[in-house]
Amino acid sequence: MSDEEHHFESKADAGASKTYPQQAGTIRKNGYIVIKNRPCKVVEVSTSKTGKHGHAKCHFVGIDIFTAKKLEDIVPSSHNCDVPHVNRTDYQLIDISEDGFVSLLTDSGDTKDDLKLPTDESLLKQIKDGFAEGKDLVVSVMSAMGEEQICALKDIGPK
Amino acid sequence: MQGFSDGGADLGQLQTTMRNIEVACTSIQMHINPAAAEATILSLSQSPQPYTACRFILENSQVPNARFQAAAAIRDAAIREWSSLSTEERRSLISFCLCFVMQHASSPEGYVLAKVSSVAAQLMKRGWLDFTEAEKEAFFYQVNQAILGAHGIDVQFIGVNFLESLVSEFSPSTSSAMGLPREFHEQCRRSLELNYLKMFYCWARDAALSVTNKIMEPNAVIPEVKVCTAALRLMLQILNWEFRNDTTSMKAGIDVFSAGVRHDNGSSKRSECVLVQPGPAWFDVLISSGHVSWLLGLYAALRQKFSREGYWIDCPIAVSARKLIVQLCSLTGTIFPSDNGKMQENHLLQLLSGILQWIDPPDVVSKAIEEGKSESEMLDGCRALLSIATATTPFVFDQLLKAIRPCGTLSLLSTLMCEVVKVLMSNNTDEETWSWEARDILLDTWTILLVPTDGSGGDALLPPEGKHAAANLFSMIVESELKVASASVTNDDGDSDYLQASISAMDERLSSYALIARAAIDVTIPLLTRLFSERFARLHQGRGIIDPTETLEELYSLLLITGHVLADEGEGETPLVPTAIQTHFADIVEAEKHPVVVLSGSIIRFAEQSMDPEVRATVFSPRFMEAVIWFLARWSHTYLMPLEETNCLSNDYQQHQSMNSKKALLSFFGEHNQGQVVLDIIVRISVTTLVSYPGEKDLQGLTCHHLLHTLVRRKTICYQLVSLESWRNLANAFTNEKSLFLLSSANQRSLAQTLVLSASGLRNSEAANQYVKGLMAHMTTYLVELSNRSDLKSVAHQPDIIMSVSCLLERLRGAASAAGPRRQRAMYEIGISVMNPVLHLLEVYKDESAVVYLLLKFIVDWVDGQISYLESRETAAVIDFCMRLLQLYSSHNIGKISISLSSTLLSEAKTEKYKDLRALLQLLSSLCSKDLVDFSSDSVEAAGINISQVVFFGLHIVTPLISLELLKYPKLCHDYFSLLSHILEVCPETLAQLNSEAFAHIIGTLDFGLHHQDLEVVDMCLGALKALAAYNYREICAGKTGLVSAGLGNLPEGIFSRFLRSLLQLLLFEDYSPDLVSAAADALLPLILCEQGLYQKLGNELIKRQTNPALKSRLANALHSLTSSNHLSSRLDRVNYQRFRKNLNSFLEEWLVLISLVFSELQHAVGGIASCGLRCIPVTIKV
Repeated sequence: MSDEEHHFESKADAGASKTYPQQAGTIRKNGYIVIKNRPCKVVEVSTSKTGKHGHAKCHFVGIDIFTAKKLEDIVPSSHNCDVPHVNRTDYQLIDISEDGFVSLLTDSGDTKDDLKLPTDESLLKQIKDGFAEGKDLVVSVMSAMGEEQICALKDIGPK
Repeated sequence: MQGFSDGGADLGQLQTTMRNIEVACTSIQMHINPAAAEATILSLSQSPQPYTACRFILENSQVPNARFQAAAAIRDAAIREWSSLSTEERRSLISFCLCFVMQHASSPEGYVLAKVSSVAAQLMKRGWLDFTEAEKEAFFYQVNQAILGAHGIDVQFIGVNFLESLVSEFSPSTSSAMGLPREFHEQCRRSLELNYLKMFYCWARDAALSVTNKIMEPNAVIPEVKVCTAALRLMLQILNWEFRNDTTSMKAGIDVFSAGVRHDNGSSKRSECVLVQPGPAWFDVLISSGHVSWLLGLYAALRQKFSREGYWIDCPIAVSARKLIVQLCSLTGTIFPSDNGKMQENHLLQLLSGILQWIDPPDVVSKAIEEGKSESEMLDGCRALLSIATATTPFVFDQLLKAIRPCGTLSLLSTLMCEVVKVLMSNNTDEETWSWEARDILLDTWTILLVPTDGSGGDALLPPEGKHAAANLFSMIVESELKVASASVTNDDGDSDYLQASISAMDERLSSYALIARAAIDVTIPLLTRLFSERFARLHQGRGIIDPTETLEELYSLLLITGHVLADEGEGETPLVPTAIQTHFADIVEAEKHPVVVLSGSIIRFAEQSMDPEVRATVFSPRFMEAVIWFLARWSHTYLMPLEETNCLSNDYQQHQSMNSKKALLSFFGEHNQGQVVLDIIVRISVTTLVSYPGEKDLQGLTCHHLLHTLVRRKTICYQLVSLESWRNLANAFTNEKSLFLLSSANQRSLAQTLVLSASGLRNSEAANQYVKGLMAHMTTYLVELSNRSDLKSVAHQPDIIMSVSCLLERLRGAASAAGPRRQRAMYEIGISVMNPVLHLLEVYKDESAVVYLLLKFIVDWVDGQISYLESRETAAVIDFCMRLLQLYSSHNIGKISISLSSTLLSEAKTEKYKDLRALLQLLSSLCSKDLVDFSSDSVEAAGINISQVVFFGLHIVTPLISLELLKYPKLCHDYFSLLSHILEVCPETLAQLNSEAFAHIIGTLDFGLHHQDLEVVDMCLGALKALAAYNYREICAGKTGLVSAGLGNLPEGIFSRFLRSLLQLLLFEDYSPDLVSAAADALLPLILCEQGLYQKLGNELIKRQTNPALKSRLANALHSLTSSNHLSSRLDRVNYQRFRKNLNSFLEEWLVLISLVFSELQHAVGGIASCGLRCIPVTIKV
């Protein structure tokens, strides 16, 4: 997704801090981390030493949770890193509009219409096909650092 | 593709074939359409009876590769068609090959000859058990004539070469596959060893002897050298044979090496050294005939010639001669008469005096090598020493040289190795030089000599001179290691240089060093003490002024060496104080002056300084601290409050001096002496590494997993620990201090486990439970409070909350895994109190896979630790909880699809799911175990709980999540099927209660498992099938409906007919391991009984498709006897199952014969077409 347009402020995050400091040594694989100001999921952590008798440092490989870009960082393990506050909210999918936006039903009964569909063809297809088949779909929307994106869908189908 | 069958071949056809093959060979070489060319060549070897064509090519083709391929084709075709060839044909094939090589002996294409020769050898072996003695005689007469040199040098060489191929073909490790049972190879091996091997050896020796004189003449290189080299090689190969018929010394002929002088106890050896034990029959050839002196003479003559043209130190004949000499050093066993080893000593002495020139004087030899001489002779000398050491005792080893020299062999060994170590020191490079290799071989020699042989732990006693040699060597080794260490400061490859890695890389070497050091322990311990104190002093004087790195590296390496010298690796057991240390230092009465106490004390006092922040900052770097912790762990495992202390004290009779010193050493660090003080120091150092080295995962891991774990493993230490102020401080820090929340997850877990385990030091279970509760209260309170928060949903995803939750769960998990009878109550209550929070958290964190996994793992470990203790009411509560957990997890994940642009993230998601599911299956398995192990006072059945049923419904919840895709993870697959087969065996009736979807899913996975590659999985599936079908059959017999109609009518056909088909398909037409036949029989019998009608139909179809009337009736008979022979009845009892197994085995044998007959018939019918293997026919006979 090259065209990152942030028309909106995430409502769920309002007031809450977007990131938290956490000691690098405690960040683990499958956790989250901010690298180059992007929220990432950590897919690899390794430690090494600076020189023979120096201190440990952590080498992180992260994947941007929105753009899927791979990012890397090296931090002394006793220093702090930023960890993004990643939130997920489930909505029922009501409609997919022609212009690539989805219409979602919130818990309070309102609709949320500001979320764009993913641009990637295959992901788009997964959602559109499911919707076209008339399944009852719930989408999980992941939000972090002021961005949000659909990250999962689930068929709660007619029982 | 046209076949190359011989049928009525005329000259023109043969020439066409030859041309085709030649073209194919050429095009392969030039990479022109290699696939087609290969197919052409393949079709030659796969066509029936291609022999005429192959012979024609061998004799007429000008393309060597074509000749090579023709020989290969003869081999392939003959091995395949062997049973259908007549005796005459077989013999003529072999003699053709033999004649061919003899006739073309001077041909320049050696590889073609070698191939033809090996084809002859393989065919000879294939027919070995069929040929009469006379026939073999005839072949060997021809070979012997050749080897005797009757037809010239080239033929002589070829003859020796042929024997080489033959021997390698008969040796189990180098034989080629022939599709025959092991038994066949074994019989061939035995026959050759008993009747021919010695004869071959004599032939080779005679061949070599016949040319020796010519070689010794002062000429340049002559063709005879080739023959001699080949003969030496053959002799070496024969001596490499694994002799098993040394019957007098062998009891059952199983353990090849158990005879002879010493046991090969699998000690850490880097160089291979196998004892040669041919048995008494070889005495005349190898010992009494002057064989050794001839060989040594030959090599000495060659040595003279090394400077001349055509000969050099690494020329083939010299190499072969040296190898043979080394091999003769390993000679042992009953070949020597029982004369107290006199004969063997003489034999070895003779060899040693020949070898001596290769390695002695060591300094001259090593200088020559450094100046460019080849090192191979010297290395062979070292190998010979290794062989001699393997074949003798240390005492005999040392005495050998004394017969001709003033000093013993050990002194020579020590000087030699010192020389090697010096060279190593002077050119310190990373590449492996000759000195590396020499050092490794010589270290092995020392290890062989010094490793305790009798298994009682008594170290080999060296003569005083030998001790002196060992002491010298050890100080040289330490010097060199120190030099390497201080030099390593400059090469900054620090990344890979972790303690664990460096220890395990050096471990073998270090343990050899330790053996050497212990051989002269009274010298080496003081040496180490001195080296340590020098460096400690240097650190202190230079603090803040000089860069300590070099000294630190030296100390690092000293710590590793000392750790190995002082103590053994426990490997899960409690290591004793090494015998050498126990028995030496007899004159020491005051414990404080015991050298081991002095050395240990100085290291511990030094380590204590790490608690001073200032010293820590300058001296105790994380890397250095790792070595300190490693040493403390290893040391305390052996010396701190040892168990023997008490035994030793009560032993009041043997009051002589050595006992006194041993007692002094053991009790010095005992609980009534300095033990408590030292323990306190160690605990405080541990707290320092956990708190004051933030983020140093490796160091903290070492502290948690290695040091602290070692401490709580021993009861005596636990008693002391719980009363120590410092331990209480650690426990307090654990619950309160923020810095300990920053430990990595594995360390967190381990620390919790350690602390809980230390509760075993408390006097009664009440105190222990109280202690555990106190330790864990903060976690349960936090989790309960968190889960009760009204804003849980919004705060839960804050990173700091996630971190605390994960951290606490890790701790809980660690504590749960430390549950034991004494602490079980407390852990049970802790678990019960967090049950609801766990479910809440699972709900909230459903998308936070890392937390979900932790939650599941905690429950798995907790249930696993608790289940066998629970009373029925408690069991009911736990089961209810587990079911709620499963349902919740399942409702979150069923039908969920992750969407991400990143394939890495998607595959991560899949792995996470796999791990979750595996945890859930483990949970179910733990529940299952309640049926097997139960310590509670009342039985669960009494409370109306059917564990199997519960687990089954658990499985029912989980299975929809397990896709065939996920079953590709081997561990998950294994867990799933073992659970499934267990459940189906225990309660097949519950299957009937499933809805059709779940039922179909289970059946689907069973079908999948049946065709799995993993033997065990297939086996488990067969077990499940057997249980199902047997249950069904019994139900039907009892007049009930069985499984089929129990609401499962919507399947297209009964499951049993489906499985009958698929099992038959598997047995008849697919590849499967023969080990599965019994299990398959057990499943097949009840299946046939359930579906008799279908079975009849399938059998009839199978027969009907067979066109050949003879085969038809054979097949019908086979099928008939499968179900009727051996008095097979229609009951499902043990006897009947056994009968059916037998029947199925004989049926399958018959079936294989039938298949191969059908195959060859088909092949004859269509010519060379049907070459694509067995599979092509059965497709049409689909059952």
